[in-house]
Order: sequence, then C-alpha cells, then structure tokens
Amino acid sequence: MKKHLRLLPFVVPGLLLYAVLFLYPTVTALYYSFTNWDGMSPSYQYVGFDNYANVSKDIIFQKSLVNNMKFMLAVVVIQTIVSLMLALQIHKKSKVNVVLRALYFMPTILSSVSVGFIWSFIYDPTSGALNGLLTLIGLESWTQNWIGNTAIAIFSIAAVQAWAHIGQMTVLFVAGLQAIPPELVEAAKLDGASKVGLFFRITWPLLAPAAAIVVSYTTIQSFKAFDLVFTMTGGGPAYSTEIISTYIYNAAFMNYTFGKAATASVYFLVLISIITIVQFKLLKTDRVSY
Amino acid sequence: MKKSYLLSLIIVFALVLSACGASNSGNKVNSSNNDGSKQNGEEVKISFIHWRGEDVAVLDGIVAKFESEYPNIKVETQVFPSDQYQATAQAKLVDGSVGDVFTSFPGAQFEAIAKAGLFTDLTSEEFVTNFTPGLIEAGQKDGVQYALPYQLVYNMPIYNVKLFEQHNVEVPTDWDSFLAAMETFKQAGITPIAFPGADIGPGQMMNTMVMNNATDEDIFVKLEAGEAKLTDEWWVKTLSQFKELSDKGYLQKDAVGTKTDAANALFIQEKAAILGTGSFQLAGNKAGNPELVQGLLAPITVSEDEVVFEGIHTTTFMLAVNSKSKHPEEAKLFLEYLSRADVAAEYANGTGQNVTVEGVQYTSDELKAVSEWTTKKTRFQPRFTISNAEVQKAITSSIQAVIGGTDPQKAAQDAQAIVDQQIGN
Repeated sequence: MKKHLRLLPFVVPGLLLYAVLFLYPTVTALYYSFTNWDGMSPSYQYVGFDNYANVSKDIIFQKSLVNNMKFMLAVVVIQTIVSLMLALQIHKKSKVNVVLRALYFMPTILSSVSVGFIWSFIYDPTSGALNGLLTLIGLESWTQNWIGNTAIAIFSIAAVQAWAHIGQMTVLFVAGLQAIPPELVEAAKLDGASKVGLFFRITWPLLAPAAAIVVSYTTIQSFKAFDLVFTMTGGGPAYSTEIISTYIYNAAFMNYTFGKAATASVYFLVLISIITIVQFKLLKTDRVSY
Repeated sequence: MKKSYLLSLIIVFALVLSACGASNSGNKVNSSNNDGSKQNGEEVKISFIHWRGEDVAVLDGIVAKFESEYPNIKVETQVFPSDQYQATAQAKLVDGSVGDVFTSFPGAQFEAIAKAGLFTDLTSEEFVTNFTPGLIEAGQKDGVQYALPYQLVYNMPIYNVKLFEQHNVEVPTDWDSFLAAMETFKQAGITPIAFPGADIGPGQMMNTMVMNNATDEDIFVKLEAGEAKLTDEWWVKTLSQFKELSDKGYLQKDAVGTKTDAANALFIQEKAAILGTGSFQLAGNKAGNPELVQGLLAPITVSEDEVVFEGIHTTTFMLAVNSKSKHPEEAKLFLEYLSRADVAAEYANGTGQNVTVEGVQYTSDELKAVSEWTTKKTRFQPRFTISNAEVQKAITSSIQAVIGGTDPQKAAQDAQAIVDQQIGN
C-alpha cells in the first residue's frame, strides 16, 4: 500500500491531464447531447432522447456513416497490404534499406493539412499533376475527376490517407519481421519451403501481432480522419465525402446545433469503442507463438 | 524514505500549482492594467476581430490614424481565416474579452449571434445615417440595427471584356442569347465559364441563376418555413439550367472537382471568358493579370420580358459592438470613425472592395465598374436569406449533383428530403 502511495505522484499528473482533457469533455458532451444548446446562448432546454432519435434518422448522418465505412475499409486494405509489401522488401539491414525506410516515412511527418493541400493540387482535374502525368505517359483514358466525382472522391482521399501513413506502418512491419527468429526461416528453407509457402506458413503467422497492431491503429486513425477531408473536399461534392467527424464539425460550428453535434460524438464514441474492443479481442486470440 | 516521498509530492504539486498560477497571474496583470488605465483616463484597449486577412495592411493604416485622433484608445486587431471565424468567433465573443468591435456575416451567423444577445443596439447612433439605408438592412432584425454591413459585394459572374469584344459577343439579355454567347466561346476554343464547383462556385452562381426563376425575394425564407419546396418548378428549372451549361460543355471539364484557385487561374490567364464567382475577386484577378479588363454580368435565365432582377448584391463584413464589451463607448467611437466617408474611401480604394457608406469616391477602374451597379435593379443575395447552414449545403450540393450527372428532379428531391428533416417536417 505504502509502495503504491509513493508511486502516486507519478500517476496523478497524467491522470489529472487525462481527466481535464478527455474525461471532462466526454462527460460534458454526454450532458449536452440531451439538450438543444446552440453553443452560445446561456440558456438551453433538456430535450431527452430527441437528439438521439433525430441524428440516427438524419440522412446526412447516415451518409457519413456509410462514407466512414468505405473510407476505413479502403484505407485499411491499401495501407496494410502496401506497407507489408514494402516491409518485406526493406526489412533486411542494408544501407539502401535504411535510406528507403526514411524516405517512405517522410510523408508521416508532414502535417495532414499540408498533405491535403498538396494533394488537392495534384488531383485538380485541369491543372493537376496526376492527370497531367497520366496524359503524358499515354494513359489519358485513365484520367479522372479524382475528388469531384461522387463515386470515387472518398477513395481518392483514402489513397492520400494511406500514402501519408504507409511509412509508419512499414516501420511497424519491419520491426515485426526483424523479430522473427532467423533459425525458423532457415529451417523452413532447408525443408524445401517455397517463397510463398515460407510467407504463409512462417512469416505471416509470426507477423500476426504486428499486423493486428497495424490494422487496429489504421482503423481508428481512419475513423478519426478529419483534416484531410476538411481541406480537400469539405465533405463534398454532394455529401460524397462527408464523414462523421465533418458532420460533427458542421453541426456544431456551421449550424450552431451543439446538442446535435454532441449526440453525434456520443454515437461516434460508442462506435469506436465497439471497434476497438472487437479488435483487442482479435489481437489477443490471433497471437501466435512458437 | 518518507522524506523522499514527501519531497516528490511537493515537487509535483508545486509544478502543477506554478503552471496554474502562471496563467492566473498573467490574467491579473492584464486586467489591472486595463482597469488602472481607465481610472487614470489614460489608455483603453479595444479588440477588433474580423476575417479579412487580405485587408490587414489597409485596416492597420486606418487604425493608426484612429489611434492618433484618439490617443487614449488602442485597437488590437485579430484576424482569423473566414472558415475559422465562422466557427469560433461566437465563442470568443461570449466573455467579452475579445471583439469589442467585431464583424459578422449576414444570414446564419448574424441570426445566431443575435439570438445569443451579443449585439449592441446601434439604432439610435448618429453614425448609422452615414450608410446608404437600403444597404444596411442585412444588419437589422425586428426593427433594430444590430450590425452595419461595411462591404458591398456583387455576387455575379465576372467577364473578360476584351474577350467579349474580340468575339463580338454582347452581354446576354436572356437565356437563349446567354447560351448562344457560350457556344461562340466554346467554338473559339475558349472555356466559356470557369466554375469552381468544388468549393465556392455553387454558392455564388446559384444566386444569379435563381433570381429570375423565383422572383419572390423571400423564396428561401418560405422554403425554411415549409411553404415552398425545392421540388417546385423554380428550383428544378434552375438545376436543369445548371445541367444544361454542364452538358453542353460551357463549364470547364470536371467542374465539380475544380477549386477556386484553379478556376481563377483559367480566368486570369484569359483561357476562360467568365468566372462564376463574384466581384470580391476583381482586385485579385487584376493583381494576377494587370492587362485584364473585367465587368460583371448575370446569366439571365428567362426571356427578356420576364426579367425582374439584373443582378445580385450582398452587404457583408457587418461591423458590430459586442454587448459584453467592457468599453462600449470606445468601440462605438471606432465604428463612427470607420463610417466616415473619407475613411471608408481609404478602405475601399485600398482593398478594392465597394462599401455601403454614402459619398465615397472610388479611384480604380474595377470599383468604378462595380459602382455602376448601384443604380441597377439588384437583389440581396438569396443564399444569405437561408438561416440554416445545412439547408444551404443541401441546396449547393444539389447543384454539384446535377453537374456531376444526377437528374435535376432527383437532385431536387434528395435536397428537399434534407431540408424537410432540418425544418422538422
């Protein structure tokens, strides 16, 4: 007990910060979700569960939810596969690989707002570099209205999100790959395992913990994405890139319906909690050890 | 052991307390300064917040002259990007520490601030008479003048006068002649309309496109009251005409993916005959290409005999005094100073914006060209009569949808469904 007390001073500041910066806003959001507060007026009324009923029926909220799912799936798939492939190429220690790792990591250190602006220019249909490049190499038919076409806009942003974070995930995979005991790989090779067999029987199962971290981190990260969407499309065209975080922002700061925004954040919190719990369960059960 | 435990506890709490204390003492110093100065009849600091980053240099000059006229008053200006201003200004105003003088957008933001009681009633102030009465109505509510719109903007497409002359195109006076003019430019390999469909384009061009299709100036007020619908003829026709412009190739390719900068570039480089935005871009365009000769025109969407309005105006950058201000008198002095014709002229000519103050002499060609419109039959920007931002977004989204290929009827229905939810029908 005494020992615990002695450790208290080291825990208290962190807990205090957590309470002030996270717990208090969360509880306040929960409180305001039962009101019709406009964010400014000193007075507001309790509206019970009205906000919950209205938000769940809200066409834009429903669209945001679907877009969030599309965005998350696209980011998780692209980011995981590409970063795994890159990691497999550069996990061995060599000077070139160290340089490549640093290079792939570069986008991660850029602010997402600048990434958004840079890619807005790249994606521009008339003067953008991407369509320009495609035309230059004779692939004019592949040119697209990347962030103006309602069918593909959300995926175009997902690709940018993946581009910006692939380096980070590659580093996680490289760490995972380097933790695989070389004698296991050697033994499998001596037993005549093919490259594909080696990957699926040895590498992948041992990489599962790293993969689980990558997938869960990517999922949460993509769910919370706000800045990229906000800077690149602002949720448009015609709501095709509206996600829950932009919905909350619009409800609170453009339309001054803080009660509604708080309700949407509570839904958001519940959703992210469920996803995180499910993923943690998977992470534990997926762990393979030899 | 006990000692070290105690010591670590003390250190941690001292750190926490000093962090809190630092900010407290900082505040105290400030407030005592303010109070002290007032008692001595010395310096009073007033805060001025707005969103016009591009006007800072001119406004700083005006503030300096104001301060030399009133040596007791210091004006501290804070500028925010307009998006951020819309989002955070209200919260800043509530405690009265910033924004003794502040600016407001008409429409949704004005309504919200009025509802929160943050405007000071300016009705009986003498300087209100310096403004053109018809141009300050956007700052009135229930017969009270809460804010004074300072800028006068025409939210009408800008056209390249030289290109029109070169191709012998007259300013169109009805829908058929408008389409014919667009066809002429298309055939000549010039983009007829540079349209920033990804951001400000729909919200700007909807005004001129709808003004004669729905001549009732309260059409969007009625929409929000449930008395009019987007599925009615006036909006479906407007959407069909947007679609027609897009389908016939009169907007640049992939217009919905084009942002303001890219559309501006097309117009500034004289690759496009019309820029589908508004007069607020005249000065910027001229800076980008000094050779440019610009005028304003509105697409007339009806036949000549059905024309009721020739254009759209907006009065914005609405100056107001925070009701929570600790220095309301000094704040009003600053408003009085800004409303003088010579000061307003300095602002207008320095920033390239027309103003609502009477008796202002404009010096630049652009401002002169725009000031001609004061005598024409223009209508207050319909978009700013929409008080609900989600309704506004539903409407602009329906324009993006039809340009993206959606059937006008379907786009109108989708938008109306959102409007119905917003107004609780």
